[in-house]
Amino acid sequence: MNCLEFKRLALSDPNSRNNDFVTHSADCPDCLKYVGGVRQMDSDLASSLDTDVPSDLIARLQLNQELVEEAQEASGNNIITLQAPVKRYAIAASFALALFVAGFMASNQFGSNNDIAQDYQALLSGVVEHMNEQSITPVWDVDRANKTANTLLASYDGKMQLKHLSNLQFSRVCPMGQYKGLHASLETPNGQVTFAYIKGESVGELLDVSYEGYLSRVKPVRGGNLIIISRTNKALQEADSQLEEAMYWSI
Amino acid sequence: MTDKSNESEDDQVNYDMMDKKRKYALLIEAHSKDLYKYALWLCKDKAMAEDVMQEAFLRAWKSLDSLREAKAAKGWLFTIFRREHARQFERKQFQYTDVESMDTIADTAQMGYDDRPEAFALRNALVRLPADYREPLEMQVLGGFSCDEIASILDISSSAVMTRLFRARKKMRQILGHESAPQLGVVGD
Repeated sequence: MNCLEFKRLALSDPNSRNNDFVTHSADCPDCLKYVGGVRQMDSDLASSLDTDVPSDLIARLQLNQELVEEAQEASGNNIITLQAPVKRYAIAASFALALFVAGFMASNQFGSNNDIAQDYQALLSGVVEHMNEQSITPVWDVDRANKTANTLLASYDGKMQLKHLSNLQFSRVCPMGQYKGLHASLETPNGQVTFAYIKGESVGELLDVSYEGYLSRVKPVRGGNLIIISRTNKALQEADSQLEEAMYWSI
Repeated sequence: MTDKSNESEDDQVNYDMMDKKRKYALLIEAHSKDLYKYALWLCKDKAMAEDVMQEAFLRAWKSLDSLREAKAAKGWLFTIFRREHARQFERKQFQYTDVESMDTIADTAQMGYDDRPEAFALRNALVRLPADYREPLEMQVLGGFSCDEIASILDISSSAVMTRLFRARKKMRQILGHESAPQLGVVGD
């Protein structure tokens, strides 16, 4: 291998284990220096593209798959037709098992969320911390955002439903501090509003506080708590009224 | 038989014995971080990168049974990701080669990249490469793939990958001022 061939290979595959390549680099100081420079450029390039990976990324990827699987199971259950007595028993048994599994998953996958009690601080800090970690959230078209919200809610809290929100931008089930819940955002004329629904014990009463520069409301709702966060009071009030109108429970 | 090949066979046996959920969990644990860095660079936006990743992993879950060899998992996953990215962002991908899509202070802050001038220069040099040259270089530097693996992911020959990598690094060095003028000839793709 001559120097020209060496440099060609150095630019194609600087970590090549080709015998001629290794031998040449040991024998030719100029070429060794050349490949060293190429390797250094690769290493610097990799460093320049290095970034912190969100700490909850793995958990969210797993959660997403579990949610989709649950939704598929649920839709599968809906299209089963009864044809024979034996099948009915089998389906009843499957249904009971599905309920058991769903209950088990609901209590584990989303965390038990049973210790919320009066812990306004933990609820708020969890949501705000999560918001700050997500410096940018996607803006989806309204139909996609509503469809996703309803799919997520079907898995997260089967009884809770959301009427179509024409200003819903995004929704996702996310870990928020020690809890997990539905995280969504609304665009109002007075600014963007983030809201979270966290299942569990409800706080005793509605509380409005200023928290880390945000105006926030923690509101007890059926089966959990609604946390609404905004930069302006007007946007917060608008979002709360809108959610009060749109959220309902089929019981 | 070498220790390494024994190890590889043991890994494969263990992989074959796992249930689907365990395989999926391992896939996420082993490759999500590298894929995230690659995704962030391609999408230029954290939330979008995560969205495409979520979709890619869901597709991986659905076709996990088709993955026969544990050692092929990373390449297989990146292939799924690239297809998903192309599907969702085909139009935007063209824009990324435009000058206005160059690295900016805002991008750097949003994506958490190194904000030193040298790092800016490297990222901008990478952006300025033609897509055909840039892609294999990104895969080698960010994904740690070999030329053969890149060839398989891009569905081109190994020699074409080597040519593109050669040209990519050559151009990078010229942009960065490490080389003044082309000196080395190369056979075309």
